[in-house]
Amino acid sequence: MTNRFNHLPTLKIDTGEKIPFTYKGKKYYGAKGDTIATALYANGVRIYARSLKYHRPRGFYSMDGECSNTMMDVDGIPNVRTETTLLKPNMEIREQNVKGSAENDLMGFMDKMDWAMPAGFYYDVMHKPAKIWPVAMKQIRKAAGIGKLAPDFVMPGKYDEIYPNCDVCVIGGGPAGMTAALAAAEKGLRVILMEARPWLGGNFDYRSAEYTDRQTYNERAEQLARDVEALDNIRVMTHTANVGVYNNNLVTGFQIGRDGDAFDERYVEIRANAVVAATGCIERPLLFDNNERPGVMQAGTALRMANTYGMLPGKKAVFSIGHDLGLEAAVALFDLGLSIPILADIREDGQDPALLKAVADRKITLLKGWVATQAHGRKQVKKVTLKSVDGTVEKDFDCDVLVASAGFTPLTGPLVVNQAKLKHDAHTNFFLPADLPKKMHAAGRMLGYEDGVAIEASGRLAGLQAAFDCENGSISEIGEAKKAMEDLPGPARGAKLVTAPVKGRKTFICFDEDTTVKNVKQSIDKGFDVPELIKRFSGAGLGPGQGGIPGHNLPLFTAKYQALPDIKIRPTTVRPPLVPTMISTYAGTNHNMFKITPMDDMQRRDGGVFRNIGVWQRARYFSRDFSSKAEIENVRSNVGMLDGSTLGKFRIHGPDALKALQRVYVSDMSKCREGRVKYTAMCNDDGCVIDDGVVVKLAENDYYFTTSTGRAGQTVEWIRYHTRYDNWDFALVNLTDAMGVINLSGPNARKVLEKVVDIDMSNTGFGFSEYKEFSIAETIPVKAMRLGFVGELSYELHVPSSYMQSVWLMLKDAGKEFGIQNFGVEAQNVLRMEKCHIILGQESEQRTNLLDIGLGFLWARKLSEWKKVGAVALRQAQGDDSRLTLVGFKMENNGRAPKDGALIVDEKVRGYIATARDSFSLNEAVGMALVEKHMSAEGTRLGIFEDECEGELIYGTVVPMPFYDPEGKRMKM
Amino acid sequence: MKDIKRYSPVQFKANPVKTENRDNWDVVMEYSGEGEGPWIVDLSHCMRLDLQDANLSAKTPFGIDVPDVPCRSVLANGVLVNRMNGTQASIYHLAGDAPEMPGDAAYTDVTENTLFVAIIGKAAFQICEKLSNLDFTDPARETPFLFQGPFSHVPCQIVTLCRDGEKSGLVLTCSRGYGRDMIHAICHAGAEFGLKPAGEARFTTWIESI
Repeated sequence: MTNRFNHLPTLKIDTGEKIPFTYKGKKYYGAKGDTIATALYANGVRIYARSLKYHRPRGFYSMDGECSNTMMDVDGIPNVRTETTLLKPNMEIREQNVKGSAENDLMGFMDKMDWAMPAGFYYDVMHKPAKIWPVAMKQIRKAAGIGKLAPDFVMPGKYDEIYPNCDVCVIGGGPAGMTAALAAAEKGLRVILMEARPWLGGNFDYRSAEYTDRQTYNERAEQLARDVEALDNIRVMTHTANVGVYNNNLVTGFQIGRDGDAFDERYVEIRANAVVAATGCIERPLLFDNNERPGVMQAGTALRMANTYGMLPGKKAVFSIGHDLGLEAAVALFDLGLSIPILADIREDGQDPALLKAVADRKITLLKGWVATQAHGRKQVKKVTLKSVDGTVEKDFDCDVLVASAGFTPLTGPLVVNQAKLKHDAHTNFFLPADLPKKMHAAGRMLGYEDGVAIEASGRLAGLQAAFDCENGSISEIGEAKKAMEDLPGPARGAKLVTAPVKGRKTFICFDEDTTVKNVKQSIDKGFDVPELIKRFSGAGLGPGQGGIPGHNLPLFTAKYQALPDIKIRPTTVRPPLVPTMISTYAGTNHNMFKITPMDDMQRRDGGVFRNIGVWQRARYFSRDFSSKAEIENVRSNVGMLDGSTLGKFRIHGPDALKALQRVYVSDMSKCREGRVKYTAMCNDDGCVIDDGVVVKLAENDYYFTTSTGRAGQTVEWIRYHTRYDNWDFALVNLTDAMGVINLSGPNARKVLEKVVDIDMSNTGFGFSEYKEFSIAETIPVKAMRLGFVGELSYELHVPSSYMQSVWLMLKDAGKEFGIQNFGVEAQNVLRMEKCHIILGQESEQRTNLLDIGLGFLWARKLSEWKKVGAVALRQAQGDDSRLTLVGFKMENNGRAPKDGALIVDEKVRGYIATARDSFSLNEAVGMALVEKHMSAEGTRLGIFEDECEGELIYGTVVPMPFYDPEGKRMKM
Repeated sequence: MKDIKRYSPVQFKANPVKTENRDNWDVVMEYSGEGEGPWIVDLSHCMRLDLQDANLSAKTPFGIDVPDVPCRSVLANGVLVNRMNGTQASIYHLAGDAPEMPGDAAYTDVTENTLFVAIIGKAAFQICEKLSNLDFTDPARETPFLFQGPFSHVPCQIVTLCRDGEKSGLVLTCSRGYGRDMIHAICHAGAEFGLKPAGEARFTTWIESI
């Protein structure tokens, strides 16, 4: 590892603590605080990867993830941004997208094939003739691309999520962001300050230059950070990249965990009343030939490499810059020992005089109005050609580093994703928002301020404006803050140069997609004359850097190439995620949230095999025999217990309760009598049946009713919605979870229940379709209904949920002598199918109406005064022969049951199988199907087409329903 | 005949050291190793009522006026009354005793319908913000106040009772069926803060202190 500075106050590394890691199988050491990229750089690595298309060598260019140059495979995870990812002990780092190594890539010859790959060649060439496309596509995809992920890769790490609320969210923890946060916090507001880097300070943090007479920028950053952290009402979230900003100031991001945190990464979703974006600037790349050759880097990268990470970027550096930070970097790096043979500034004038003096004091040769036009060196910069901006004079300089930067690009992403529209500003040469979204403010360098005090003042103004949005500030304070800014330097004039005087064949406007200036010209020449089209035709800005490199250069060059007098062209649309991260971070902790019944645990102990059914988990089987034969036979011959707790259960009461029931149910609900159970159904406005259940009258204007499991969650809203104009006075209470349900079924059900309760359970004492309330052991209140869904003597016991386990055990105990067993949802499904009792969703779908499935008898057709939901549609559907009809069928020649959902066909599709099973009660396969009317006659042969039957149909015949106990004697016994 | 017992939808992985049998509930008064907080306390045995009436302001459950404005709550004599909307209020009986069910038909006993827990201690709201985007510490609202919204993606009623440092705390109800997964989610979210199950005694002390 190279010797590193350990005395600079700006350092963020601790050279005393060595972090071991492996690169290409060899062990290296970095310093605590290093990113992976800086640790590699300190160990002499200069070529990090190869480019997407041309396999050009790529090196350390930016520091904030603007490009894919330093994306590598880390611990098996591809495309890790090593320039922003902190080094951790024992990381295994590999190059990606190389054949061989990044140093010697066998695919490197692709760099000479650029003539064959003009912009849009994909669209132009590969379809002539069409048959070469599949072959070409395969080869291109093999050659291109970046990281690879094994299909069976399991993502390691802990991922979390957090949803904080605040009054003001400040995006960006630089000087403007911190002063904004302080201004808002002084008003007593709750402030969240997000910063993508692991520390606060932004642009001030790594600068050792003088901020005022007594302080450096770095010292000022530390002072502001202390002030921020001292306030309880500012919540600082460092290492938290902003990902998106949405309507009503929903701010999203992700945070990287520190040592000791409970997460490695967590998704952050902040709801703020007001937002301040103080995200600063990135550098606008200088466009010249080989502008991405390893050794070429941004001014900020070179400066941060030294001041933050304690190492010089090389030995001899040529500077070709267009802003004062470039001059400042040259001075600082010179002072640290970097040899600078020449400093070329794009600008003829406008430089900070103090910086010019500092440059002169150090005897660094400064060429004003000069620019780099070519970097030389096959794999790394060895020489640079500089030219005067007008292209008339040229000089070469040897070097191992070229610090190159044309200007700045404001990071307007948070504003743009929240629908701000950008407009070119001629003074700064920035694209800035014309109008800011409501309750959103911008501050700092992104507005063009370069003077430190002005940056902070703009932050304070934004913070006060945000506080005002939260109804906690005054116009006069804002006025004072604005006035204070008038006395300070305004936005700095931005460098205008877009590209050096070059042809642009190897001048890369987008590193990620290997898009050159020449490619952009080709796109424009073909008529793709705006950035959005150029982006899609040439690929510029489509890479993982999210447009960080082509950003504002693309629209500026597009305008220049077309000689547009006024830059009306806009940058391409920025979309979330502004900073990409892993899907696992978005997934967060991902708790499974399912409902379970009170019997869940006991049924699992009894061997229940559970399935997710809607929001519930239910025991579908009680053995690995998924035909449920034993469960079915036990109910038919003996007695079984089913947990039906998922049924929807409701109380409706109040003076107009009956009216509400009349509206939503198809039956005449006034015929619902105390002590009796009324089976009925609900339809939607199309007459399609959406729910069925039973209703019990508890008292005058007080009813208890059940719904199907799937409808329970919508029932209250459904009834309220359909009575919304009536001003009826009734109350609805959802008791679904309050009551568990035990379905005790089978010829011995009465004998079991008689042992537990002390009421008359005889057929006359508690007859079919009757309702009773009683107590078990004078303690447990039970609502009991005598029903017959499975076609046997059955009792449905509604028991308070907390008592369910006790009652279940009592019944189990009482039923021991009769061989009582659990039965699951599948057994129930077969049992009721044999009886031809329908389950909505099984024997119906969205278009099936009440009449189709033979439930027309429920409909009180004459009660038009109640405006029953669906009645109008049902009236129209009466006698409509084009609708499907529910029929029963059995399979020919004792054949097996078809699959549910199989099609009924002849020369056309005529219907489908609703439910069909091999019936153990009947010793043959039977089922129900919805078929066209003309096929519903008894004896009709049904051709059944199943998945993967390869045209071989199986056949059934329409038979009368129900199949089992057609006279219904067993359930009424 | 088996013993008659009532089972809470809340099961903690902790050992009770002191329990009380109350109306067939085994109410845990204290768990071993309750720690220094934050705590989660199972209150599912406490009576909850639903009150619905067109003229809600005329009702005075347990002698308490229903708040005028939806999502406002009032805590008095161990009873928390939460105005849900124009015609509906929820009532939580936070004291340990079992009050008489009001005779008025406008009331429905919904004790069995939900799980009911309290999350108390300084980190209570840090735990909550991992599971919900609701603003439980909104300074613009006066405690106690009600939220009806998602918590770990499940519709809940949550009442912020106190947001005063160590005394911070809230009570939460949701459909009983979500008991297993809701408790798992809360305990998982609270693990980094040292969330531990606590018995009713801890809750009683806390509610008396706020």
